[in-house]
Amino acid sequence: MDLPTGIRSFSYGEDMAVFRTKTHWFWLLLLLAVLFSMPLFLANYWLSVANLIFITIIAATGLNILTGYCGQLSIGHAGFMAVGAYTSVILTTRFGLPFPLVLLSSGIMAGLIGMLFGISSLRIKGFYLAISTLAAQFIILWVISHWDSVTGGTNGLPVPPAKVLGLVLKSQSDKFYLILIVTIIIIFVAKNLSRTKTGRAFVAIRDNDLAAEVMGVNPFRYKLLAFFTGCFFAGIAGSLFAHWTGYINPESFPFTNSILYIGMIIIGGLGTTVGPIFGVIFIQLLDVLVTHVSPTLQAAFPGLSSGFVVGIAPMLFGVTIILFIIFEPRGLAHRWQIFKTSYRLWPFSY
Amino acid sequence: MQHMSVSRREFLKVAGALGLVAATGGSLPLFTACGAKVKTGQTLKVGSMTPSTGPAAEKGKPGQDGLLDCFNYINTELKGVNGHLIEPVWRDSKYDPAVVATIVPEFMDAGCLIFTTHASAEMTAAMAIANPAEFPGISTFTSQTLYHPPKHIYGQMPDYGDDWIAFAKYYLANIWKGTGKPRMALHLLNNSTGKGAEYGADAMADTLGIQIVANEQHTATITSAIDSLTRIKAQNPDVMFISSTPQPTSIILKDAHSLGLYPGITVGCAHASFTSALVQLAGADVSEGVYGVYSTVTWTDNVPGIAKATEYCKKYNSQDFGNMDYLSTWSTGLVIAQILKQALDNVGYDVLAKGDVNSWRAIEKSGIQKLNGYGVEGMTAEVGYVPGDQRLSKSLKMYRITGGNITSIGNWIAAPYIKYEDYSWFPKS
Amino acid sequence: MSMFLQFTVTGIAVGLVYSLIALGFVMVWKSSGVANLSMGQMLLLFAWFAYSMLAQKGIPIWLALILVLVFSLAVGWLMERVILRPLIAQPILSLITVTLGVSFVITGLVSFLWPKGIAALPRLFPQNPVHIGSAIVSQEYLWAAVISLMLFALLSLYFKYNRTGIVMRATADDQKAVQACGIAVTKIFSRSWMLAGALAAISGVLMASIGGITFGLVDTGMRAFSVVILGGLDSFLGAIVAGPIIGLAQMVGGGYLTPLTWPGVNDVIPFIIIIIVMFIKPFGLFGEERIERI
Repeated sequence: MDLPTGIRSFSYGEDMAVFRTKTHWFWLLLLLAVLFSMPLFLANYWLSVANLIFITIIAATGLNILTGYCGQLSIGHAGFMAVGAYTSVILTTRFGLPFPLVLLSSGIMAGLIGMLFGISSLRIKGFYLAISTLAAQFIILWVISHWDSVTGGTNGLPVPPAKVLGLVLKSQSDKFYLILIVTIIIIFVAKNLSRTKTGRAFVAIRDNDLAAEVMGVNPFRYKLLAFFTGCFFAGIAGSLFAHWTGYINPESFPFTNSILYIGMIIIGGLGTTVGPIFGVIFIQLLDVLVTHVSPTLQAAFPGLSSGFVVGIAPMLFGVTIILFIIFEPRGLAHRWQIFKTSYRLWPFSY
Repeated sequence: MQHMSVSRREFLKVAGALGLVAATGGSLPLFTACGAKVKTGQTLKVGSMTPSTGPAAEKGKPGQDGLLDCFNYINTELKGVNGHLIEPVWRDSKYDPAVVATIVPEFMDAGCLIFTTHASAEMTAAMAIANPAEFPGISTFTSQTLYHPPKHIYGQMPDYGDDWIAFAKYYLANIWKGTGKPRMALHLLNNSTGKGAEYGADAMADTLGIQIVANEQHTATITSAIDSLTRIKAQNPDVMFISSTPQPTSIILKDAHSLGLYPGITVGCAHASFTSALVQLAGADVSEGVYGVYSTVTWTDNVPGIAKATEYCKKYNSQDFGNMDYLSTWSTGLVIAQILKQALDNVGYDVLAKGDVNSWRAIEKSGIQKLNGYGVEGMTAEVGYVPGDQRLSKSLKMYRITGGNITSIGNWIAAPYIKYEDYSWFPKS
Repeated sequence: MSMFLQFTVTGIAVGLVYSLIALGFVMVWKSSGVANLSMGQMLLLFAWFAYSMLAQKGIPIWLALILVLVFSLAVGWLMERVILRPLIAQPILSLITVTLGVSFVITGLVSFLWPKGIAALPRLFPQNPVHIGSAIVSQEYLWAAVISLMLFALLSLYFKYNRTGIVMRATADDQKAVQACGIAVTKIFSRSWMLAGALAAISGVLMASIGGITFGLVDTGMRAFSVVILGGLDSFLGAIVAGPIIGLAQMVGGGYLTPLTWPGVNDVIPFIIIIIVMFIKPFGLFGEERIERI
């Protein structure tokens, strides 16, 4: 369906491959080449924006597994990121563990905490489940803000730069490579997870959990697994976030972020691998754009009221989201699909 | 089907338009980022961020106006600093640490010589990037963790701990008439604003002779403080100190009033909440007689700085008139100009032109650390640098709310330098 | 004992104010199944509008309050007509995300129109507190609680006896059936958003008279979320009962537990209670239990 005409498969392996044609491979390698050479031509500022985007992609990919594939709405994702971030910092500074191990442990810790709150998904669903994840966000952040001896309380914790293979990753470009590589691995895992038995079980539960149970899918087990995986990715994102900013405190993981992540995966397209990527890039670049609208306006028209200059940024942001959803309620991934199809058939599309 | 195709076409139009806006708008900062490396113009770039939207907007917005109006004043009336115009690179941080983490590299790329933050929380997020790069920063509102131990971050005003100490000193000298130690209750915001006051109390309460009988915390958006005040009332305090922002402080005052706790005990406020908004929110009758600490003079004082600030505020941002946050960042602007002047006098423009690490070192060594006895046009206590102490102005003034107005009661009170990093309870960084 | 009474009285009063916000939320959910994420921002907008009318324009209180109400009805209508109507029959999560977009627009609008950022409404209620036994409660809270109960009664009657109210309930139950009866569902949606707007205006003005107008109102609006879900998303009775439960948990639980645990424990107690309740009553206290078939 997604392939140009005339492509045949000669083995099951070939049939299952994500990248089928030479053109696929060409675009993939070109994309990777561009990504890896980005530090050569981007200023530090744009690298830091790219870093934030990649970290958010990891978090959103996790949320997408949980919400997009398994249908379990979570509005506490930033809280699980916080778990990963703090675990990461504490393991690095107190126990001096090597970074790869720290990264993995942060993910596991966030995953376990996520599972704990996911237990309630056995009985509740939809927006009622959302409250349990919302509660997770507030309870986690409350513990972090008050457990002074471990988390530094509201003051937060300084984060030493990550050390990988003896290299201290200090500059934005060092961090960029680390974050990029982790992001690629995460996307690879997420894409393949969705094609396994587990991924199909998630989708079955999302579409109808009763029917799934009748078919022999253990809903409780897979729901918990979805919570673990989704929050595991959030933990990884949190750990990278901590080592990227160099300082974390409870205010780094606000509730509004949790809501924004949901917005991102919906705008991108739920239940697809490219969806969260598109959604995050769209929202973050839009944010960067509107952040610059205010100072640009201020410089160009000094007579403008400062209220207008400040207010225009969130207004543009909101209006774009509204227009976008009104005209493309199925998300960017849907648009991408249409684009790919029409590109393939061009110029004879009818 | 017909309808669908129309909406798709419209969608593409909208998307196209947005793309165009994105391309033009997005490329602007890219150009400035590249252009700064080359020696252009003769301006002095100053990065500044304020939390103008988001949860701290009520303080950030007037803060932004005060700072930018002050730079405007310096550029138009004083013809810049030694003839070099100040070029503010201003960004709205939205009070979001992730946004701050991208703004600071942008300042550094753009060739800013120094940067300012308004809230101490912004600087907490910014310093993790600025300190290793030796990029000097000044925070208008400060907490002790920003510069204990001292690195490349400076506080323009005394910190929240100093508020507590100044108030405690004033209270013991002028208000406390009883025998023994006065019993004090603390009501603190659950972030660095509250923590800072707590550190001050932890360090100095015993030395000064004050007994802390209650330590309550509140969030930035409380709707009732009855429960915490009921507990405080049970402790029979003589005095209560609040370190918070105007909205929660007004709730605490109103509820203390309902409970009959105030008037009765003395109430003092730290500088983050002590502004005209507090009086408006709590009401003139409820807030009558409340003491407060602030690090600048008020709008009614007759000093040159206030005259100019009033003129510009009324002309460009009349809605901020009476707001203390406007004055605090206005004085930050003046201090920045003085720092740049010192640096220009000592090393010349050529060193500063590049906006790289050498310029930053020059700003710090020959600008900030050479500050001495600068008067800030009468707006704050004299500003100067003493090695080890990264607070630029070190004195606070006591105020009292009378008849709905914030009136000055006495002269500048010096807040001693405390080496917080030597205390075991102080967080290590 | 006097402390306990104080905590109880305050808890119920504070809780009923949350209930009031929750009513506006339930209003929309009941008819269209949309979770309005811009509830907090709507409170903020209407509070500022009230400030404009009362403090800036100096219009007499009764007229100003009527104007605020008219404005809120208009905003509610506009939101439904312009933003939500084009999305009918689209995935429900898209509808929820669109309200997120609305919340940003309102944030921008507010900083544009009222750059002051912080303001107080003129006092609507007398300042002297009321004594209930040994407990003290301020008149602002008392009035807010009374208004909240009155609105609940009115809404319940409206949904029980008024024709439109009954149709709204029917719409929530089965949109297609209602349409088959020859009733325009769009009109019902429009009406429910207008009512939600009015409820947001009333709670916005009351909250502002208690704590002033700051961006914090958004946070307060979000906190009503927990009340809504505890009570059941589609139940007015749930909202009105869950509010005081959360308020009591905050005040009584927080009041006694704070000295034993960390300060600020009252902020999380409601959430812990919610999780426990969810295990026992998965559809909230009064939410409709859905029986599923394959």
